[in-house]
Amino acid sequence: MKAMPKIVVLFLALIALAGCTVKAVGDPNRPITINANVVVDIRGLKQTANNIEDMVAQGGAK
Amino acid sequence: MKKIYTTLFVLCLVLGSALPVCKAADYDFKELTPEIKKALSNRQTRYAQIQALKREGVIGENNKGYVSDLKKDTTSTTLTAAENRDRRIIYENLAIQNKLGSTGLLEVQRAFAEVQRDKAGAGDMVQTPSGDWEKK
Repeated sequence: MKAMPKIVVLFLALIALAGCTVKAVGDPNRPITINANVVVDIRGLKQTANNIEDMVAQGGAK
Repeated sequence: MKKIYTTLFVLCLVLGSALPVCKAADYDFKELTPEIKKALSNRQTRYAQIQALKREGVIGENNKGYVSDLKKDTTSTTLTAAENRDRRIIYENLAIQNKLGSTGLLEVQRAFAEVQRDKAGAGDMVQTPSGDWEKK
């Protein structure tokens, strides 16, 4: 263990953990619902909206 | 030496987590489907008419990213409906293709509404986030 720094062990453990398959066991007639939270970046969306509206305006001005 | 590795590792973690905050997420059409192309082209074609109606105060940009018919005349009603149908196609596809989740469409509409308010010309009617209509 001394030859391998703790940080490397931790890193490998994280990779192993991330690669694990999680199997859910339960009643197939009563499916569970998982609500995932999606973080939407408003700044990015506004940038996209700006680009699209500019494109519409430029195309329309031709 | 060990301390340097640990410091570097922590630094990478901090910088890695800060990166999404510093850089705005890149939302775009992942695939320009014929439906999206048609919607964009339709909007370009009617752009001048929409701008003219805005200047006349017949239509305005509402706070949901669509145009509202303020005078309810036949020509503007038809044009408004067609414009909003195309905008809806664009918004829906952005939300779906960027996997923005169940509230994605609302977020897209809000972002477009803000941009439309910013881009509105002087004298155009715009709806504020609180729902009031005002002349810009």
